[in-house]
Amino acid sequence: MRKPAIFTLPVIGVIACAVAGPALAQDKTIKIGALLPISGPGAYFGAQDKQGVELALEQLNKAGVNGYKFTIQYEDSACAPLPATQAAKRLIEQFKPDVVIGEECSDATLAIMPTMAQAKIPLLNAGSSSIKITDPGNPWTFRIMPNELMQGVDIATNAYNKLNARTAVLLNENTNAGIGNAKVFNDTFTKLGGKILAEIGFGRDINDFTAIATRVAGLGKIDVIPTYTLEGQGLKITQALAQAGVTKGGGGGSIQLGTIWLPFGFEQKAGQTSIGYIRIVQFDPTDQRDIVRNFVTAFKEKYKADPTHLHAHAYDQIMLIADVVKRGAKDAESIRDGLAATKAFSGVTGSVEFDKTNQNIKMDTIHYMETKPDLSWNALKWN
Amino acid sequence: MATIVAQQAINGIVLGSLYVLVALGLTLIYGVLVQINFAHADFVTLGAFSAYFFMHALGGSYLASIGVALLVGATLGWLVNVAIFAPLQRKGSELLPLIATIGVSVMLQNAMLAWFGPVPYAFETPYSARVFRVAGTFFTLQSIIIIVVSTVTIALLYAFMKLTFLGKALRAVSQDRETAGLMGINPNRLIMLTFVLASALAGMGGAMLAPVLVLTPFAGASVIVKAFAIVIIGGFGNVEGTILAGLLVGLIESFTTQYLDPGLIDIVVFGLLLLMLALRPTGLVSEKREENV
Repeated sequence: MRKPAIFTLPVIGVIACAVAGPALAQDKTIKIGALLPISGPGAYFGAQDKQGVELALEQLNKAGVNGYKFTIQYEDSACAPLPATQAAKRLIEQFKPDVVIGEECSDATLAIMPTMAQAKIPLLNAGSSSIKITDPGNPWTFRIMPNELMQGVDIATNAYNKLNARTAVLLNENTNAGIGNAKVFNDTFTKLGGKILAEIGFGRDINDFTAIATRVAGLGKIDVIPTYTLEGQGLKITQALAQAGVTKGGGGGSIQLGTIWLPFGFEQKAGQTSIGYIRIVQFDPTDQRDIVRNFVTAFKEKYKADPTHLHAHAYDQIMLIADVVKRGAKDAESIRDGLAATKAFSGVTGSVEFDKTNQNIKMDTIHYMETKPDLSWNALKWN
Repeated sequence: MATIVAQQAINGIVLGSLYVLVALGLTLIYGVLVQINFAHADFVTLGAFSAYFFMHALGGSYLASIGVALLVGATLGWLVNVAIFAPLQRKGSELLPLIATIGVSVMLQNAMLAWFGPVPYAFETPYSARVFRVAGTFFTLQSIIIIVVSTVTIALLYAFMKLTFLGKALRAVSQDRETAGLMGINPNRLIMLTFVLASALAGMGGAMLAPVLVLTPFAGASVIVKAFAIVIIGGFGNVEGTILAGLLVGLIESFTTQYLDPGLIDIVVFGLLLLMLALRPTGLVSEKREENV
């Protein structure tokens, strides 16, 4: 006996839904654009960020989040304004991302912010410190890294109170971030009663820092030397200051203070010249929280190496986006709203809660480490 | 005060010696071929990396690594000349070899980026840590090696150019390639020799610069602009002028850092370059003779 069509149609419909359901779910993707320096002096940022991103995506895409998978497209923004702007436009036109992560260098981040705002795509930053990025605020840009004010005020206050420093020489690259960080330290330190003996800025094309170290050595007794550079120049400055007999690593009395910019492993490259160096790190690999232990284990398993703060903050960027998607975001606008509503996200670098300027206000991402004679870290627990 | 002046003079001479090593190769190529090799910076970088891996992967000494870098530079120069530069030169175009060197530069940079990665390498020699302190000044054993190697290299190059038949032939080619050919000199062989010699100098310069440079695949680019300025200030293709200009630029950098601001170094150096072009376009050492090398 032939069944009436009225009975057959729902069955076909159910079967069709059963077959098409997973396919539709798989089609639901969140497109993440990544503007990272892949060439030039900041290329080490991009290489390490990418590893952190890939690890996060591998973990997330195993099961997806709320039925969504994540795809990514990388563009080389080269740590500089012009290539960053060009890369941002290319990314928007060709990939049409729902959210973008990057850049690392403040000058490049500042350059791409208007492009992202115009395209109404949220930009999630984890590595630029210039205050201009979140002050006065841009509805489409979010930063999970502590800004130059948070870092600068904190390190200057600790230098004055904890190290009893009264004199300082500032060394900074001539970029928005370098100049901005040095200014915040200068303002805070002098307000507390300290004295800045000299502020020495330099371009990224300087290789030999012996002349600068000579000038510093001629300035008399210096308690601290806050230094704001990328890793390569940072290494050369540390070595030159030690050779000139200025810092503890060279038998002198000055303590070099560093920023969040320098990656894990800096001390091993700088060797004995870095002894006594105190710096802020964004990621403490000895942190005993489960999330950090799991991240370190997974990273070592995948890459056979120790993770740096760059791997960690790139991993956090992707995990925060996933957290926002888990809370119901599905496109650029809802991701923006979800990011703004973030209150208690716990990442491997620390926790995240954005203020009205979209700056992460949590200070547990700032850790102070001092380089010991065996080049390992002594956690100072200042925060 | 006097100590600081003496110290900055030492710093300037050491830095200037390094610049001279890099700029000499450029000036040789310009003097003989009237060409600019834009890949010179990458020959410097490859020299630095070959010295690094000779020391760290094969356990060789730093002094031997200088020789290795020289050989790598020479081999690369020979290859680039045979495969690219010479065939394009034979076509009679001045522009094609110039553009080709830009292509070689981009290719080498990206190849090094793929092989060595973007993370800066720390090139340490046992001599960088040996610091001598004399009458308030300081210098490392590494800086003594830089000055000695640079001086010996310059002396050998000078002797080669002035005393040997090949050197004289090179000068003849730089003076008038066609007439030199009529006198039985094979200009193509001498062009090859120039390219190999200049590239060997670049490779060696890389090994000498490596402990100073932030060693990444883009390292050479940070010194090459200054090397070009030195070649122009010294007088295009003039060896003596290049040596003087290299030392001068090194000293300018040191004293600008001390008494002005390191951020002004490029303004001072390139200001001098413009001044030279305007007032003394023949360079620091202007010669009545027409040949340069």
